[in-house]
Amino acid sequence: MTLLNESVRREVRQALAAMTEPVRIVLFTQQEGGALECGFCRETRQLVEEVVALSDKLRLEVHDLVADQALASQMGIDKIPAIALLRDERPQPRDFGVRLFGIPSGYEFGTFIQDLVLVSQARHDLSARTLEQLAALTGPVHIQVFVTPTCPYCPRAVLLAHRLAIASERVRADMVEATEFPHLANRYSVYGVPRTVINEVIHIEGAVPEAALMDELMQVNDPAAMKRLRAEWGL
Amino acid sequence: MDLHFELPTTGDGAASVWDVAIVGGGPAGATAAMYAARADLRVIVLDKGLTASALGITSRIANYPGVPEEISGAELLRRMREQAQRFGAVFVQDKVQAVDLESDPKLLFANGGTYEARAVIIATGSMARGQRVKGEEELLGRGVSYCATCDGAFFRDQDVAVAGNTDEAVEEALFLTRFARTVHFLSPTPRIHAPEPLLHELSSQPNVRLYLGAALREVIGGDHVTGVRVALRDGGEQVLPVNGAFIYLQGGRPATDFLGGQLPLNETGCVRVDAEYRTTIPGVYAVGDVLCNHVKQAVVAAAEGAIAAMAVEKALRGRKQLAVDWSK
Ligand SMILES: Cc1cc2nc3c(=O)[nH]c(=O)nc-3n(C[C@H](O)[C@H](O)[C@H](O)COP(=O)(O)OP(=O)(O)OC[C@H]3O[C@@H](n4cnc5c(N)ncnc54)[C@H](O)[C@@H]3O)c2cc1C
Repeated sequence: MTLLNESVRREVRQALAAMTEPVRIVLFTQQEGGALECGFCRETRQLVEEVVALSDKLRLEVHDLVADQALASQMGIDKIPAIALLRDERPQPRDFGVRLFGIPSGYEFGTFIQDLVLVSQARHDLSARTLEQLAALTGPVHIQVFVTPTCPYCPRAVLLAHRLAIASERVRADMVEATEFPHLANRYSVYGVPRTVINEVIHIEGAVPEAALMDELMQVNDPAAMKRLRAEWGL
Repeated sequence: MDLHFELPTTGDGAASVWDVAIVGGGPAGATAAMYAARADLRVIVLDKGLTASALGITSRIANYPGVPEEISGAELLRRMREQAQRFGAVFVQDKVQAVDLESDPKLLFANGGTYEARAVIIATGSMARGQRVKGEEELLGRGVSYCATCDGAFFRDQDVAVAGNTDEAVEEALFLTRFARTVHFLSPTPRIHAPEPLLHELSSQPNVRLYLGAALREVIGGDHVTGVRVALRDGGEQVLPVNGAFIYLQGGRPATDFLGGQLPLNETGCVRVDAEYRTTIPGVYAVGDVLCNHVKQAVVAAAEGAIAAMAVEKALRGRKQLAVDWSK
């Protein structure tokens, strides 16, 4: 049984025609019956394989989270299924820090396909003001966007985070499918999506416009504000 | 979890860009839809429910010209929608949660999918809630939610409260019965404004408890929601221990939250337009009770919808003047 029906395959093929550079999909998973709990590892692999078959600009690289621990931690992968999207440049693939944790199903399937095109084109479409703010970043920024597959406006929040990652070397941005990682949803008390979590302690509810997100994000440059927020979260 | 894989284009199945998408199917939106459809534009109306319209809850309407018999507002609205549908307008029951009005085509993000359109008419009325209750803002995303489809999965086997009295509230509560252990349905009025079959479905769910004339006073919690405080009809108060509070209450404010600040609003949240009902964003129009300085009458809302639809047609077809719609 295929996951993508013929009409969806046709639409995806059409959407992927906009890709300019090849993209390397790096999938972290585990073998059938692996030691970790992974509700959708098998389906995620099948999904990615079906998508890769729809464009000659897509490459797939599959790793086992446990066996390839060193690579995983170097890439910031700590849970599965995980997808990292790399622009397949020469001599080295370029890793913008675009990640998807959990199966990209429902509304997030569209995000995944759009991500492929954005990474391929190294395109971010951000405003001049945002780019100025990103250029002023002094340290690493880790954005996690919690979503569910049934949330219609979550893709906007994820795509914004991914575009920030494409624009800035300092930014890594994860989509996190909340129901597959309940321990994380618990840790951050996520009961509603989208929730954007920046460097653990800056929390933003809803899909907010770019400028509003950036104003929140730039607090990472302010040690006093970050210290206060960390204290609020008991960190 | 059921797995679905589709690209975010909705409408009549195929990937499609509508000529006009109308948000809100009250008298303003339904009339705009009729005019747009008669002008051969491809038009879709997104409306979250019949009784979320001011006209939909009006028990008797006596001053709508040409309708001398005593009918309910809901019946009049049903007729308006039917008339628009007859000319080809498509009505979809869906709630728009967010928009991207500057993009081309314009994007409407709704519970059921993303809709794309060349022009957008905002006709969402002024039945949105003004004041939030105590604790609501602080606990948003920590148990307070306005979207059951998005957040229902977090409340598996837990108790939740749903506050509201429209068909929208009832449908969201029904959705939650699939996840939650108990759904406490708090209707602020003694009567729930929803069609009989829907009400019957709600009251026959084993895990629903109905509270009629129960006003939500406070959402309680620290890290996340732990309860709601409710004023009961008999004058007493009760705290219900719940982990989720889904709020669909109505009020008297323009329904413009979903615009996410993309249009300038005045302090009461209403939209300003010019004589052709154009907002400050090209291709975006607004009509009816959602406007500032608008006379709150069904016939006025309908008239505004008609003019806006003609203005959209003029803009999309590059005409210099509005084309009147006279039957030959
Ligand atoms: C109790 C009462 C009695 C009235 N009596 C009369 C009367 O006798 N005669 C008279 O002429 N006028 C009367 N009015 C006024 C009249 O009902 C309104 O002026 C008229 O309904 C306004 O039309 P509208 O289309 O702008 O808004 P509404 O009729 O309020 O319609 C707005 C629509 O938008 C939808 N909507 C809102 N937000 C969203 C969203 N995010 N996504 C999707 N859909 C959305 C709602 O579901 C609703 O259907 C009365 C009003 C009330 C409240």
